Amino acid sequence: MSKALKIKNGVDKGLNDLLAYLLQNKDIKGIFALKKMNENGAASYSLMAKVDELKNAAPLHPLMPVNAGKVLSSFSLMEATKEPVAAVLRPCELRAFIELIKRNQGSLDNILLISLTCGGVYPLQSVADGNTKKHLPRYWESLKKAEIDPDIRMTCQSCEHFIPDMADMTIATVGKKDLDKECTILLNTPKGEDYAKDAPGNIVSEEIETPETEKLKKKREEQRKKMLEDLEKDGLGLKALVKTFSACLACHGCSHACPICYCTLCDFDSKTLEYSPQSFISELKQKGGLKVPPDNIFFHLGRMTHMAVSCVNCGMCSDVCPVNIPVATVFSKVGLSLQEEFNYLPGRDVEESVPYGIYKEEEFAEIGEQ
Amino acid sequence: MNGEKETSMNPTGKEKIPNRKGKILPAKDGINKAIIDFLKKSLEKKCFDAFLIPAKVPDTESYAWLLLQDQSLLELANPLPPVMMVQGGKALSSVTKHGEMDQRVAAVMRPCEVRAAVELFKLKQNNLENITLISIDCPGAMPLSDYTDNPEKMTKAFEDAFDKWGESDFLRPICQICHRFSLPSLSFSSPPEPPSEQNEEDFVASDLHIGLLGGDKEKIFLLPCSSKGTELLEKLELSPQDSLKNWESKVKEISDKKIKKRNTFNKEWLTKIAGNEKFITVFDECINCHNCMNVCPICYCQQCYFDSQALNLAPEAYLQRAEKRGALRFPIDTLLFHLGRMSHMVLSCVSCGACEDACPMSIPVAQIFAMVGDQTQKDFNYIPGRNRGEALPLQVFLEDEFSEVETPRKGEETSTEEAEKNV
Repeated sequence: MSKALKIKNGVDKGLNDLLAYLLQNKDIKGIFALKKMNENGAASYSLMAKVDELKNAAPLHPLMPVNAGKVLSSFSLMEATKEPVAAVLRPCELRAFIELIKRNQGSLDNILLISLTCGGVYPLQSVADGNTKKHLPRYWESLKKAEIDPDIRMTCQSCEHFIPDMADMTIATVGKKDLDKECTILLNTPKGEDYAKDAPGNIVSEEIETPETEKLKKKREEQRKKMLEDLEKDGLGLKALVKTFSACLACHGCSHACPICYCTLCDFDSKTLEYSPQSFISELKQKGGLKVPPDNIFFHLGRMTHMAVSCVNCGMCSDVCPVNIPVATVFSKVGLSLQEEFNYLPGRDVEESVPYGIYKEEEFAEIGEQ
Repeated sequence: MNGEKETSMNPTGKEKIPNRKGKILPAKDGINKAIIDFLKKSLEKKCFDAFLIPAKVPDTESYAWLLLQDQSLLELANPLPPVMMVQGGKALSSVTKHGEMDQRVAAVMRPCEVRAAVELFKLKQNNLENITLISIDCPGAMPLSDYTDNPEKMTKAFEDAFDKWGESDFLRPICQICHRFSLPSLSFSSPPEPPSEQNEEDFVASDLHIGLLGGDKEKIFLLPCSSKGTELLEKLELSPQDSLKNWESKVKEISDKKIKKRNTFNKEWLTKIAGNEKFITVFDECINCHNCMNVCPICYCQQCYFDSQALNLAPEAYLQRAEKRGALRFPIDTLLFHLGRMSHMVLSCVSCGACEDACPMSIPVAQIFAMVGDQTQKDFNYIPGRNRGEALPLQVFLEDEFSEVETPRKGEETSTEEAEKNV
């Protein structure tokens, strides 16, 4: 059992009440949350410093225009903020932020982390299609019943980690039948409790894991199994990879949108991976023909080697792909099995080191010998 | 500024059609087959050692650029695929960026791709020494996302667009208003005369053009544009003596139509985005992925300023900005990115539409950049990619040029406060 703040107001309004309270009555100087932009359902992250701005805030709006872990990293990259701020972000975004901190790409200091049990988000494409408004009521109904909204991204439909780690506060949404009438915010840390002390609402005791969250977890697991079966239809070898990535434009949008790919200049965008005309010719002589620009699969494998152990399965890569390659599915397949090998869940704990940081010589000897 | 006053945005009207000579080849088994056979022959006769050409990736619906030497691989080639994958100019750069090819390569591309290659040549991002550029009349391309969703339907729609030559709502909007779909047509109105001290070879875009218009799918027109192109035809014993009248008049007819359409289109866009507020709204949904830049052939910088550490601020600075405006959008400076990119590349923008194709938010980037590009290019009397010898406008910019834009014109001042509020 942990403490929870219960606000007698719908979840959207209740959360906004709390955020307004933090800004007005506590030392919080700014709030990171999604802000609605237009009727198409577009939203963007905003650092809101004035209470007035909160009227357009939509922290729970099911869209991920950019992984918020990336946003918080850019905010705290140069140094930790001296002025406290609060951030509302989804579990995978929070986990991305934690992974970035482990890589010295940000700091947790003075950031109050507010997350939620997550129902998933719509594909970015839904904004262009203009379908968000139509679909939104169903989204909330599915959430109340702890069911999967069929319109959310494939990555979200198959995500089992919808309960956040490391959050100071967690907004309970999954399976909450009274979402329209009350807002339940679990207080997971002393910091969270402290900030909620005199906030509007009552302090009660509640469990974060409920039969409903269990139910959703099972459904998501099933969905995941199905998704992977689809992926594995063509096998998982090089041939299948070539096919899966055949339409790749080498725009590297996946890498730019990925919160873990934090390099200012990727090796694959650098001179290192540019070749002389002679090397093209000698490869041409060997093979008879080659795809240009080269290194299509190499890029994806290279990126995978670099970040898969920290992949939080946020789905941004698939969302920004102009040719709809299921990048996130492939990467989560590899990421999760790799993470299992290392018994590592990215973003679970900021104190936990990235596996390669504590890799020992004698580890995985069995792989080397094959 | 270069040469005479720009006329290319007006329909060519009364101007005389140059009576060019070329070679007409029969295309009994389809245009693709005729082109591939021509290329095969040129490979057999050792006119080239290799080709850079779009090809279908086996067992998929995707297209990719293929650098090929084996004649058998030409079977996979499709000189005019229904979509634009990687922009051809960019593909060619990736191969020749670091010097001369020691083998002779023919690159078969759409006109906007050849023009990008020419701009990249001026920007020293490729080497055209052993490259023969072959352009081809282009009816346009299908939006990448539509094609990805339904390749079969879009392939059919492309064939249909080919028959109606560019008059199809399925085509990318930027292709629907493309008036430079046939490269040599650029010189209809004011053929650029090479200054006497310069090499004639510098004054071409492609070396050989393949005309499809006016051939009723039964023949193709080969038009040599440079001595490289002429030599190629001679070597293949295809003496360029045929009249290309049918092709020329059809190109002109459609080009005039497209110019009118484009002018209307640009005017409409201008009213849609005039003023700060409207302009900001158009880019409102941008998620800062920079896909537009990464696929843009002209944006060749290894690392964009907007991807660098230069934009990072200390947390206090972000908070101060947020405090001042009430709220600060993250990632910051998304609009500044588009404006910065625009000011860097728009004079060389070839309206290829790759940016729009790659935008996950379906922002009409290409249409806006085309509108701005048309205007600025007109001001400089510059057509990007028209020929290799023409200097980039900013390289030959004179101190006394454009003095009239140094002070804002009356009635066009916008309050900076207003502008800031909207960012």
